[in-house]
Amino acid sequence: MIEIHEVTKKFQDKKNFVTALKHVSFSVKEGQVVGLLGENGAGKTTLLRTVATLLTPTEGTVTVAGYDTIKNGNEVKKRIGVLFGGETGLYDRLTARENLEYFAALYGLSKHETKVRIDDLSRMFGMRDYLNRKVGGFSKGMRQKVAIARTLIHNPEIILFDEPTTGLDITSSNVFRQLVHQLKRDGKTIIFSSHIMEEVSLLCDSVAMMHKGELVYHGNLESLYKSEGSRDLNYIFMSKLVRGNEHYAS
Amino acid sequence: MLLKIYLKEIKDCFRDRRTLLLTVLLPVIMMTGLTFFYEKMISDGEGESYKLAVNESFDRELAGIITSFKNIELVQSANPGKTLQDGKVQAALILDPNFSRTIENGEKATVTIIGDSFSQKSSNLKNIVQNALGVYEKSIISKRMQAKGTDPSIVEPIIIEQKEISDQNPNANLIAMLIPLILAIAIGVGSSPAASDLFAGEKEKKTMEALLMTPVKRSTLLFSKWLTIATVGSVTGIITLLVVALEINLLTENLKKAVSFGDNAAVIIALAVLVAIVYAMFTASLLMLTSILGKTVKESQSYSTPVMMLAMFPTMILSSIGINELSFQHFAIPIMNLFSLLKELVFGIIDYEHIVITIASNLVCMILLFIVGRILFLKDKWVMN
Repeated sequence: MIEIHEVTKKFQDKKNFVTALKHVSFSVKEGQVVGLLGENGAGKTTLLRTVATLLTPTEGTVTVAGYDTIKNGNEVKKRIGVLFGGETGLYDRLTARENLEYFAALYGLSKHETKVRIDDLSRMFGMRDYLNRKVGGFSKGMRQKVAIARTLIHNPEIILFDEPTTGLDITSSNVFRQLVHQLKRDGKTIIFSSHIMEEVSLLCDSVAMMHKGELVYHGNLESLYKSEGSRDLNYIFMSKLVRGNEHYAS
Repeated sequence: MLLKIYLKEIKDCFRDRRTLLLTVLLPVIMMTGLTFFYEKMISDGEGESYKLAVNESFDRELAGIITSFKNIELVQSANPGKTLQDGKVQAALILDPNFSRTIENGEKATVTIIGDSFSQKSSNLKNIVQNALGVYEKSIISKRMQAKGTDPSIVEPIIIEQKEISDQNPNANLIAMLIPLILAIAIGVGSSPAASDLFAGEKEKKTMEALLMTPVKRSTLLFSKWLTIATVGSVTGIITLLVVALEINLLTENLKKAVSFGDNAAVIIALAVLVAIVYAMFTASLLMLTSILGKTVKESQSYSTPVMMLAMFPTMILSSIGINELSFQHFAIPIMNLFSLLKELVFGIIDYEHIVITIASNLVCMILLFIVGRILFLKDKWVMN
């Protein structure tokens, strides 16, 4: 479903080049939920933005549902939904419904399809009471629900979540986790980055660990537990980082 | 798709109190203040009443001349200068102690006028008194020459006649500077919040990323946002022109006399609206660039402020140029051509060649700015923080 092949991304910072991704390669199968782990600055967001067609890789290719993200960007965009955590990307002066209707229009949904999707999503997230209120006055949890609904408005096959529970209270985080379970049952392919290991071990089939722009591990969670001799993902992640740092030091 | 995005952007913009305030209220307030200021400035003082301090023993003949002006009241004072300093009068006229006798004896007498050049009222009164003294002086010269058997016309060998090339009211020039300046400022200030919000603001709020992830072409997004900024600017421009036209017509006398378009009124107003729209489109292109370059609304606004200041220069350049001296470059340089064309329109001149040059030059610049904007908007660096 998603093929990331030898992706390198360099940014120009004044006269110097900063390498955010170094030859990253892995693939995600249809219906899989992959957790993307890494410290701040490890390259998780850059990788998700590259998959989402927002960034162009300096080297390598990304294929989503058989479409190249550079050559067939629009085909990829139609099949993908992205939510960057902590940044809900909503228009404060529009109501929740107007926000959803606007994005539905941008994805080319008809009026009838839009109405059905908004009804379904507002029922799923319990947003009916505030659907016609302006987003500017919403709490963080309410905003996050509308943002997730916006991400799912065009019923994408692939969903990318970048630290989706950042800043959310326990109730809202639980709502999100239930949503991921629901999406998994619906056969959606999901990649989400997170700092919360408990969340990753609960929701994911496999993990991809990143460190300083490199992929240090990608594989099945059960295999990882077996090979590391522990079911403590936090411990495994830290030991991978230590090994990574030793590798850089040597 | 373009229409859907445009309609949403317009809805979003006009729900912003800042945009509403700067688009509707600002032109009304600015134009009202400036219209009344200029009306007062160009008024010849008719209808105003003045107080002039004079000596207690004032020359009767001179007093008769001065009081022939119904709006001047003479205030007799032992010390006219002090009365003026106390603010009880607007000017003081001090005559020699033996003024009347000196004149009768055919000798030179001294008259001192004290006024305050910083006060419009005082300046007006000084001018009236000077004119009255001039009339009085001429009558004395005439009497003295007749007494000596000489024809008084001998001291006026030349009769100077001054004529203007047009019969246009001289105050029209003031309006020709006022209207474009206010229009340029109003359009710039009115469309600036929308421009900052639509690019830099969207980057700051991360809605830009959400937009870029939709399968909509970046050029469509760019064009619809530019169209929104241009619409807000045009609305501000039209409101400004409407307010100035209504206020000059209904609330002023001198400014109303200065602009009379006769049968061409409808065409001139329509052309002024067209010029305002063209200028709003040009400003939108500039503000679009400053907003793309800014990472935050604040940064974008600090780029756009100097751009808006550009509108000040044509006023300075064109204030000393006569209407018949306007040439090709005045209509070919954007911003300058707004001022030049509106100057012509205020003087009642409709020159279609100048209108075409103005629209064409703005169009060329807009296309160039749009190309630069598109190049920037296609690069990751300028669309994401």
